[in-house]
Parts: sequence; C-alpha cells; structure tokens
Amino acid sequence: MRIKVIGLGSPNGDDAIGLEVARELSRETLPGGAAAVVCDRPGVDLLDELEGIDAAVLVDALRSGASPGSVRVLSPAQLARGPALSSHALGVVDALALAAALGRRRPALRIVAVELEAERGEGLSVAGLAAVPEACRRVRTLLAELSGQADFETD
Amino acid sequence: MSERRTIEIATLARVEGEGALHLTVEGDRVIDLRLEIYEPPRFFEAFLRGRAASELADLVARICGICPVAYQMSTLHAVESIFQITLHPSVRALRRLYYCGEWIESHLLHMYFLAAPDYLGLDDGIAVARSHPGEVERGLRLRKLGNRIISLLGGRPVNPVGACIGGFSRTPTRAELGELAEQIVRARGEAEAALRFFASLPVPSRPQAIELVSLRHPSEYPMNEGRIVSSTGLDIEAAEFATAFSEHQVPHSTALHCRRMDGGRYLVGPLARLLQNSDRLSPAALAARESVAARLSSPDPYASVFARAIEVIYAFDEALRVIRAFEPPPAPAAEFTPRAGVGHGATEAPRGLLYVRVETDDRGYVSAIRIVPPTAQNQDCIEADLRELAPGVLALPHEEARRACEMAIRNYDPCISCSTHFLTLEIERRSPA
Repeated sequence: MRIKVIGLGSPNGDDAIGLEVARELSRETLPGGAAAVVCDRPGVDLLDELEGIDAAVLVDALRSGASPGSVRVLSPAQLARGPALSSHALGVVDALALAAALGRRRPALRIVAVELEAERGEGLSVAGLAAVPEACRRVRTLLAELSGQADFETD
Repeated sequence: MSERRTIEIATLARVEGEGALHLTVEGDRVIDLRLEIYEPPRFFEAFLRGRAASELADLVARICGICPVAYQMSTLHAVESIFQITLHPSVRALRRLYYCGEWIESHLLHMYFLAAPDYLGLDDGIAVARSHPGEVERGLRLRKLGNRIISLLGGRPVNPVGACIGGFSRTPTRAELGELAEQIVRARGEAEAALRFFASLPVPSRPQAIELVSLRHPSEYPMNEGRIVSSTGLDIEAAEFATAFSEHQVPHSTALHCRRMDGGRYLVGPLARLLQNSDRLSPAALAARESVAARLSSPDPYASVFARAIEVIYAFDEALRVIRAFEPPPAPAAEFTPRAGVGHGATEAPRGLLYVRVETDDRGYVSAIRIVPPTAQNQDCIEADLRELAPGVLALPHEEARRACEMAIRNYDPCISCSTHFLTLEIERRSPA
C-alpha cells in the first residue's frame, strides 16, 4: 500500500493551511508509512504526485461559509468544478478531472478541508492556526483507515 | 437602420489572470472597444523601493507563477550592469538553460490547455484530454522537463529562488545535468510531434501589418541578451528603451499601455521573436519552421501557436547544447560590491520582451524600479486586432462571437496577472439614435 499526504495551497493567508499541515506531519512517522508532501500550487503537477500510489489524503483550505477553522473530510465527488480552466487557477478539482479525462488510474482519495478565514496576508489566521492540530488528527485517522490499520491511532 | 450591439465578456476564460472585454458596435462600425484589465494593481514597483538589490530576484519571481524566470532575468541583468558584474561563461550558459525551462513550461501549458480547445471547438483542456489523451499526455511529459530544468536551477518549480546577483546560489552537478540531458534526449522527438499536431488543426489565419519588436543577438536565438530591434528598423540598446517606447495609463485598465514614441502599436512575443530571429534557430527548429513556413510568411497572430511549438523544439536543443558544453564555474555566483547607478535589463519572457530599469543608491538599495511586462506592450495590438475582427463576427450568435474574440485575444497569451490578469466579453449592439 503506497500512501501519501499531499498538503495543497499557497503562502497567502489561510490558503497555507494545507501546506502547514503537511509540514507538521512530515516530522512524524505516519500510519501506513505514508509520506507527507508540501505542494505549493501544483496545478497540473498534482497529476504526477498522484502517480504510483494507492491512496492519498489531500489537505486544502476551503471556502464554504462554515465557521473559520472548522475541519471537514470530503470525498472527491463532493467537490464541485468551477468555471473554465485557466492555468493560473488550475485547482484540485480540475487536476482530478484532467487525470480522469486522461484515463489515469486514480488512487483512493480523501480530502481534509479546513475552512479559511483570511485569504490573504502573511501567515495563518488565529482560526487557521488553531485548526492545524485537528486537521493533523483527521489526516492520521484517514491514513490509518486507508492503510487498513484502523486500530492504529484513531483518535 | 443599423443595429447597435454590445458584447460583454465579463470574465475572459483561459488566459492568465482576470480581465474583460467590452465591445460596442453599430452596424459594422465599432463604436467602443475596451480590453479591461480589472485585476487590482499590485504596486510592485512601489514596494520594491528601499529593498536591497540582493532581494529583488526572489521578490520579482512572485510577479508571475508562469514566468518568474523572466522577471528574475531582466531584473538581475539590470542590477548586474550597475554592479559591473561580468558573468562567468558557464553561469551565463546556465541562465540560458534556466530560460529554456521557462519557455518549455509556459509554451506547452498555453498550447495544450489554453489554445488547443479553440482549434478543437472544445471548452477546456480537460475536454481536449478526453478527446486527445495521447496528445495531452505528450504535452504534459514535455512540460515536465521544463519544470525539471527550473527546479534544478531555481530550487523549486513554483516561484524559484535559485537565481541571484552574479549567477545562482548553487551550481548543478554534472550528474544532475547528465540525468536531465538523458530525459531530454528521450523526450526530444515528441516536441516535433507536438508541432505536427498543432499544424494538423484548423488554426485560423488573419495576417496583419504590425511592427514586430524583439531582442536580436549577434549569434544566438535571443533570451537574456541582445539589442532591441523591430521590423521597421528600430535597433537600440536596452538602456535606450525609454527613447523608443512610452507607457500610458488608460481609464479602463489597471495595466499601463505601452506604445512606440509615435503612438504606434507593436507586437512582442514568440511570433515577433521567431520572425526576426529564424536565422538563429537550431537546425531542427529551423527544419520545423520550414514545415509550417506558409503560416509564417507574414505576421499573423494566429500563427503564434506555431511559433511557440518551434520555440519549444529550439529550447530542447539549446538546453541539450548547454548541458553538453557545460564546464563547472569556479563559483556559482560572482562576487560583487553594491554601487549606486542605473541599470537596464531586457530579456525575452515566454510572452515577449520584458524590460526592467533599476536605480540603486550607494548601499545597493533600490531607489527606483520600472517593470514593463510583455502583456502591457501587447494590449494595443490586442485591441486593434479585435477592432478589425469585430465587424466580421457580429452577425454570429453571441456565444460564437465571444469565442471568436477570446480566441483572437488568446493568440497573444496575455498574462494579465503579470501586466497587473484577464476576460469577462461584452458586446453592445446599438441602434443609431
């Protein structure tokens, strides 16, 4: 079972939550021997990150109107595709749609999404920062489930 | 009685950034045409003042996610001329390799994801991936090599940080370059296949009388060095940029428009570069050019996609040449002493000439900086192109008219995030009062 945590985002405000969670998790031994990678705005390069693995947990910031810092686990089917593709804004959903269109085998995916507060600025907002431990916990749980080790650190 | 009609594209799709097009026509007469760049101004030129020149390369790389290398190169060359730094020939060659990476990456992204849907009548790159998966996979494989080059020299593919005053912060090892060369050799033939694919598509044609502006180097296809030349005889040093070109503010755009001193428009970018420098291509790129020669006999913005494909072939050849001739420099970067002065840098970004003027104080801090990106220079050409196109598309249903306008705009691969972003079409058709 080859498994990965992919932290997505950019250094702008709470958009860095995914990057921060991956950085945090890269310092520990993760369930299933998962590797944590920090992916700053990968665009189409997300396709390469998803090659050769069986499962991945993507961590990204989300804007849904929920309270800032709230953490949710989503399935790929729950993500809606936005308007036309532009290369500056090729998001996770576009990259997954592109992979599907190319007929690439897609690993099992879960998305840990953290509601953002600040879209711009340097560093995470208070709510964003406070959500990092919870997001890390959710990732560990998912990794354990995905790697078939559900009894391994599930809280 | 002729009808007055307005076409509004409120958000242009498949361009780099955010902009809109507003077009009002009366009968077949264009009453008003505005390419609106509404992306908020970013104030780079203002907040870079007071920064140490040594910080500039990392900061200007943030102007664009697609062409950071170009901003780094023009800025560094300007600073290096002030600090009187001569690059070691090996470092100079690595700078060319670095630029090859950016051309490859940027051109392929444009060709497969922004332009290809136009010629196939599809909505986006994902639809192209569905109908032509093999071609898109090819584009992705080739593009990845551009990424590798940038990562190797810049430390990472997005907002690279490796370039610095006098060279790079690290010289790649022979082993790293050797591995890269092997990958290029394996993928190299696919670059020609990419051109063949685009040449097989129904790419429209509409030649125009435009002044072409690009760099010209005594022996090389221009990237980092050369004089600024034009198809009407301009031939100046980068330092003389302000004597030949001027920037203007227009009310409908947060990007400055750049014109010739006489008010004339001019074209920068791969087409201008190629048409003025075909004799500097590698043999394979020249042969590729010959294969589409009929499309390149006069300036036609629609042929830009072929120019990009030819430049991709060239960039692979040049990258290989640089790697094979590489001798490690004594140091990754030349030593320097900060000085006061004014320096100019003009290099060829994927989208065309990128001019930077830097002024430093005696501590080497920036007292003034001016950045003229390619898209700002092409805005007038884009508007003139649309003014010419508009009467012909107005009879079309709105959706088709919008497509035709967007396609004409995309020929220029405008990078609106750089020039300040891009397109929302508004066509207003009015009956005369």
